[in-house]
Amino acid sequence: MKRLLATALLLASLVAAPLPAQQSGRLVIEAGRIVTQAGPDIENGRIVIDGGRITAVGKAEEVEKPWDATVIGGKEFVAVPGFVEAHTSQGMDRANENIDVAPFLDIRDSIDPVAYFFEDCLRLGITTVNVQQGANCVVGGRGMVVRPVGMTVEEMAVRPLFGLKLSTRPKGGKSRATQMQALRFAFEDLKLYLEGLVEKERDDAGYAKREALFQGRDLEAEAAQGRAMSGNAWKVDGLELVPRGALDERYAPLLELLEGRYTAFVHCGDPLDVVHALEVVRAQGILARTVLVIESDCWKAADRIAEAGVPVILEGGLLDVQRDPITGEEVETFVPRVLQEKGIRFALSSEDPNTRAPAYQAALAVAYGMERTAALDAVTRVPAEILGLGDEVGSLERGKLGNVLLCSGDPLSVAGWVEHVVIEGRLVYERAKDVRNKHLLEGVQPLGTAPPTSAEAGEDPEHEHEKKADEDKGGSEKDAGDEQKEKEDGGR
Amino acid sequence: MLLLLAPLLVTPSPGDDDWTIQAATVHTVSGAPIENGFVRVQGGKIAAVGKGGGGATLECAAVTPGLIDLALGIDTGPLSVEQSSETAARLRASEGLDLFSYRWERALRSGITTALAQPADYDVIGGLGLVLKTGGAPTLAARLVKPEACLRGAFGAQPSNGNSIPRFQEPQSFYFRRPTTRMGVEWVFRKAFHDTLQGQGEDDPATAADHAVLRRVLAGELPLVVQAKATQDVRTAIYLKEEFGIPRMVLDHAIEAWREPELLKRSGVAVILPPFTADGRHADGFVNDSYFLPLDAARKLHEWGVPFALSAHEGAGAGARLADQAAAAQRGGLPLAAALEAVTLTPARLLGVEARVGSLEAGKDADLVLWNGPPLQPTSRIIGVLLQGRLVLDPRSK
Repeated sequence: MKRLLATALLLASLVAAPLPAQQSGRLVIEAGRIVTQAGPDIENGRIVIDGGRITAVGKAEEVEKPWDATVIGGKEFVAVPGFVEAHTSQGMDRANENIDVAPFLDIRDSIDPVAYFFEDCLRLGITTVNVQQGANCVVGGRGMVVRPVGMTVEEMAVRPLFGLKLSTRPKGGKSRATQMQALRFAFEDLKLYLEGLVEKERDDAGYAKREALFQGRDLEAEAAQGRAMSGNAWKVDGLELVPRGALDERYAPLLELLEGRYTAFVHCGDPLDVVHALEVVRAQGILARTVLVIESDCWKAADRIAEAGVPVILEGGLLDVQRDPITGEEVETFVPRVLQEKGIRFALSSEDPNTRAPAYQAALAVAYGMERTAALDAVTRVPAEILGLGDEVGSLERGKLGNVLLCSGDPLSVAGWVEHVVIEGRLVYERAKDVRNKHLLEGVQPLGTAPPTSAEAGEDPEHEHEKKADEDKGGSEKDAGDEQKEKEDGGR
Repeated sequence: MLLLLAPLLVTPSPGDDDWTIQAATVHTVSGAPIENGFVRVQGGKIAAVGKGGGGATLECAAVTPGLIDLALGIDTGPLSVEQSSETAARLRASEGLDLFSYRWERALRSGITTALAQPADYDVIGGLGLVLKTGGAPTLAARLVKPEACLRGAFGAQPSNGNSIPRFQEPQSFYFRRPTTRMGVEWVFRKAFHDTLQGQGEDDPATAADHAVLRRVLAGELPLVVQAKATQDVRTAIYLKEEFGIPRMVLDHAIEAWREPELLKRSGVAVILPPFTADGRHADGFVNDSYFLPLDAARKLHEWGVPFALSAHEGAGAGARLADQAAAAQRGGLPLAAALEAVTLTPARLLGVEARVGSLEAGKDADLVLWNGPPLQPTSRIIGVLLQGRLVLDPRSK
């Protein structure tokens, strides 16, 4: 109980301040149809947002319009809850750290508020984004839930220090065996470290004191932070003797994971990784706070996922195409349907470039037989719940944050564009003023607005220089042969 | 129960070929859509299309003609490229084609029943393309729709890619290939047509055979389908068309054709659009450059009266197929009827096979696509495919 309370206090202290309001007034959103995702749709509805939160939603004639409110929308619009991206590794300066086990890292140092990705989020109607380290790791850093608007990370932050990334898919250069060994050892190493701390504490309290003095640490302040606690799965006897502040920063986040402070986002590239992931989180007692981030063919492990009762985020394509190695025949599986059939709670993510827009993903789910509400849930309600923000975002209900999209028509149809995005009562995007959208749609390129091409981004002036020098001196015979080889090897 | 949503490709048995398909909407393409209509199929052909009906053996929300992709790209890769010469008009893609590739079935499952197969674009003039069905017995005889349907050529960086005069070597080395620039590519094109008109070098039987094909192009018997990605390639192609009076030219992979409305309208070329991308960019793998395709390119071409077809370049995932390209084009403002035409009747007309495929009319091949909702929309998908009357994707096997 005490532990729960401590965790709760800790969490409460981490919840960032609401988005600073530029318009102090209240906002009224009117729409021909409101898709609430919390009950039936409302025809000719009105939403009132005050202080960043929805204070009323209902039929226009039943909801009073505050006299001083700014009014946006109209009968031609459809209002939808802002989409929630449950997991992404975009919007950062380089998504992967090359250290295998790096729970001490914090994504806040990597998030780039002016990244094109966040701008694109608004265009697609994503109003809440969970940014986590890339999957090329064993234990990654701590992530962050953000709103895709703001000039600083602090302005963007919704939940700082949220979630910890683990991966059972082999990191580059590792086999599955070494990956699993490294993952298990990360926890084993933590245990050894904690045992060492306890031993030191018991052996010689005086020594610990002298060491702290030597290091210039404030023992009283460390003690005031509380005591270290074990997780659910294993205990280190006497750990309560160790003051919280004495924990090395490199180890502390992993212990906090076991104590239940972070949600573990475990990346699985194959069905086999799912089995490994579940084994590890069970062994560490964090199953209840685990979310699997899966690639398409992990649907084959759907039974194991269902049995474990963990939610998943589908990062791979919605349609899994597998070719039989013997017969050569291809079998297609629409992954969300399998997850739904198995009763697995799942969120869709915008990582697949062909189907980035959450509305488009929901439309595809409808094409493959899902109900509209369930399909939209996978990009609103469920990801919100997975992020522990079920009471804050994901549907249009009284008391929730005023994150609303106004679409020109049915958002699942080809004609449905996100026209306005409102985040916490603030109008943050208008398509009419979006010059890049105009470019994407019509090819009109206003000067200086193009995002860099991959070639430009990866341009290395030194390399360019070398290339030029090579050309100048006339290259060599080998070049010609290589070029010929390239020509023969090159695909379309 | 585990739901495998890709119904297995069914093996036909005799007597399976007669169907009456009833649909909430029958999109004939050649005429107005028919509400509550039917399509009757007998002996591999469409026997009747009409309103009402009865005795349906298959039911669905909508039925359209089988889709046609003119840039499917199933070939045997660079190995099917002739290395001895840059102009190989006499060669036939049919002779390098792998009919056993699983990629045909993949195309068929995504609703593509007819496709154009052409030589790969490493030669300036690559050879003759053929129109064929994407399914059926794996023999040319069984699948052929039109054996010599077009002549394939390529502008831009690809045909000259990797070509160079090896340093410190004599030009007659094995590795000596021309052209090495965009200018050179254009020169090879012009020289080929010029020599044809002059009858030059025809003592060589290979050249004579090439010229015979080029004469058919100049006479308008064969369309010239050329790769022209960038604006400059589009211009070069159109100038070539006008210089030699080539009656039928189709610009394939024409990413930036939309930038030249006046030239397109003036010259009467047709266009095959590549797939739409999330950011509108198409990187050119052969030069450090990328070209831009806006979402409304198809709408623009439609409004200018330029005939155009859409293509998916074998996209297989969700959101990447030919039907998805047609949905993307509609998001750019293209009306549904025009989007449907761009994946059925227009490509059929461009290759001169509209007597057999491209619309739902009595007497045409019974290539049909069955949908679970309004066709070419993100919220619908293809649930059934008939190829020449044979059910290859069964809408009932859900």
